[in-house]
Amino acid sequence: MRVALAEDGALFREGLVMLLDAAGHEVVGCTADGDALVDLLADQPADVAILDIRMPPEPDGGLTTAERLRAAHPDLGLLFLSHYAEAHYLMRILQISTESIGYRLKEKIGSVDVLSDTLTRIQDGEIVIEPVLAQRLVERPSSNRRDVVASLSHREVDVLRLMAEGRSNGGIASQLFVTQKAVEKHIANIFSKLGLHTDTAEHHRRVLAVLTYLRSQQDA
Amino acid sequence: MTVRSAYADGPGGARRRAGEHWTRRRELERQLHDGPALRLSALTLRLGLLAQKLPGAGDLLEDIAELQGQLHLVLQELRAIADQIYPALLQEAGLGPAVRELAGRVPVRIRVHADSDRFDQAVEGVAYFLVAQVLLDLSPDTGPVDVIIRRDAYGLALDLGGVDTDQADTVGDQIRAFGGAVEVAGGTIKVRIPCE
Repeated sequence: MRVALAEDGALFREGLVMLLDAAGHEVVGCTADGDALVDLLADQPADVAILDIRMPPEPDGGLTTAERLRAAHPDLGLLFLSHYAEAHYLMRILQISTESIGYRLKEKIGSVDVLSDTLTRIQDGEIVIEPVLAQRLVERPSSNRRDVVASLSHREVDVLRLMAEGRSNGGIASQLFVTQKAVEKHIANIFSKLGLHTDTAEHHRRVLAVLTYLRSQQDA
Repeated sequence: MTVRSAYADGPGGARRRAGEHWTRRRELERQLHDGPALRLSALTLRLGLLAQKLPGAGDLLEDIAELQGQLHLVLQELRAIADQIYPALLQEAGLGPAVRELAGRVPVRIRVHADSDRFDQAVEGVAYFLVAQVLLDLSPDTGPVDVIIRRDAYGLALDLGGVDTDQADTVGDQIRAFGGAVEVAGGTIKVRIPCE
């Protein structure tokens, strides 16, 4: 896969280039700020761009850079890396797009398998959300959602957490070692308990519906 | 012996010192982020690279993954400390998003009403930490609590409704250097801090 990246911390940037190399990906460009990456990608094709959120142009250059890149290259996948996994940034990222986009903690992509899996899912059009953040959203939903989430079974909470990570039904099934049919049944039960419409079952809309539900300040 | 008051060099001096205090706190958070946190994150990448160079060494690979997990925990602890100095989210997104994040950690129903207005960084700092102090002190059977953050003609207007109003005195102490005012009306602590 052809990968470009922008990160202002030299130590992390160099480490990431080495790991991408070791994973067999081609690093087509590597810059210390967002504007330089936009320039570089103007005539250099790539499959996925990796962006630090908190980099120049300040304060959150990764987000403004992503908007420009998505407008110029609609098929380019976007992976945001940050020192912080915050619901606030997740919602801003999903406002940019809900396709071929990901948000992960910097210290959680430090293995060839995880890094490649994250990049591949993004290239395939999926949303990839940091599991640490998905788990926190499910464990600590907005206060008026707590009673409903507490009414879910353990297995349903597992499924909800994996949905919040952006996983597809097939992805959830293989993570939990169950059939895809069993996953579909759990999801139908969860949606009924949360009062979400089943017409949000389409993948990208489903991820948004689940995250918006967990974060919402208003009652359904 | 003379007692030096907070206003020894005038209210403007107290405000300037408060401003310097919060600037320093922002800088410390930034240093943690750009220094040790970045170095630790980069170490997880180097460990991943090491794992890649050791094909088939099952036990060692598990040990490396375990070390990476430990580095994640160290970073979580660093983030928790940084949040008590000056939250990165407050710095980058302002009071509304930072207070919403805080409200999620409190086992009481909290409604946050705030738009995207930004205020002077020292005022955002002092306001965030006084809200944190009041919210984290709530007993679990209270609620719902309403936090309203808005800009009025004088600066920041902050209403904390449904909280323990005995906290109003300590809130007043924290905003004195800013020339702010606190009053209690009904079950609400009303805070006003003049600022840009």
